[in-house]
Amino acid sequence: MCVWCDQFAGGYERWYFNPANYARRLYKIRKEEAEALGAEANPQEAGGMAVLGREFLEARERNDYEAMERMKLEAEQMAWGTHFGQVITLDEALKVTDIMYPISLLTCACRRSMVGVPDEENFTCRGLGPGRYTGERWPDTYRGGVHFLTPDEAKEVLTKLNKRGLVQSIYTFGTPFLAGLCNCDYPDCASIRTVVDFGVRVLWRGHYVAKVDPELCNGCAACVARCQFRALSFAPSRNKAYIDQFQCFGCGLCATECDQEAITLVERASLPSLANVW
Amino acid sequence: MLATITVDDEKCNDPLSCRKCLLICPTHVLGLGTDVGPQKFRETDPNHFILRGVRFEKCTGCMDCVEVCPQNAIQVSF
Ligand code: SF4
Ligand code: SF4
Repeated sequence: MCVWCDQFAGGYERWYFNPANYARRLYKIRKEEAEALGAEANPQEAGGMAVLGREFLEARERNDYEAMERMKLEAEQMAWGTHFGQVITLDEALKVTDIMYPISLLTCACRRSMVGVPDEENFTCRGLGPGRYTGERWPDTYRGGVHFLTPDEAKEVLTKLNKRGLVQSIYTFGTPFLAGLCNCDYPDCASIRTVVDFGVRVLWRGHYVAKVDPELCNGCAACVARCQFRALSFAPSRNKAYIDQFQCFGCGLCATECDQEAITLVERASLPSLANVW
Repeated sequence: MLATITVDDEKCNDPLSCRKCLLICPTHVLGLGTDVGPQKFRETDPNHFILRGVRFEKCTGCMDCVEVCPQNAIQVSF
């Protein structure tokens, strides 16, 4: 069971299908929290979007597993209360555009911080909810501006970015308030990088797991470049794509690229050994 | 071994528009931040952007950033 659905789905199929989690009331709470946190709440100021600092890397150098474990837990607890994400499929992201309003197009703070991507090339994030009406107050956080989208425009952008190979993920800003719908990739998404490199779950796996049908797979390898989570490889001896389902985040990027329809997404909950792997 | 990366902020005065080192680093070790908090109603001045080593665990010591920097602002040591 996904603990976020358990706590926040409110009778809906997923917690991110529950309109209450996009509500303005929660935005206010998060605003007070953010102000109380002060400058520390600014990821840019913290520098380069590092969730774990040098201390953690030093502990890792000296194989101090106890210290690493403690810092990992602290980082996760902090993230889960304030700002973390979960991978969702394109279909789920499209559904979100129909249940909440407004949706805006923003530049990606991670890519700005990681590689200084110019604003005009950096519109890969959607801001969700009323918080973005006050975007002009924080020109630096919203460099490039806040561009409101109709649900159809939002669907078009999401579909285009999926085609480009970017993973859909949804983020809280003061859990369970959902306010970010991003399109991410390794290595310049801070959360993909943190979860893939260190196993710190600032990004949760999604509700699906991808599966290759070896009968249908013709060995074209078109899917292989799509996986941002190191779950998908190619087995030349069998001439088939191979998915490590324990590593799969269920983004479905591989499946949308396969024109043989050889990759399907199965419910994580239907697989006893994976049902609790998030 | 973990690299130590130091940046002379006086020399590196507009990393957001220069970003030569950010683009050349093969493992994306470097990152940008600012030395001021978010300010209401104003964009951060370019000279308040700062470059830092961030993902030290991935630094191979190739020195590509040191060499590409037109201001000689980066030092990498082990
Ligand atoms: S895209 Fe489809 S057919 Fe091609 S290798 Fe991948 S699973 Fe097989
Ligand atoms: S195997 Fe497919 S669904 Fe799983 S993480 Fe990789 S691209 Fe996403």
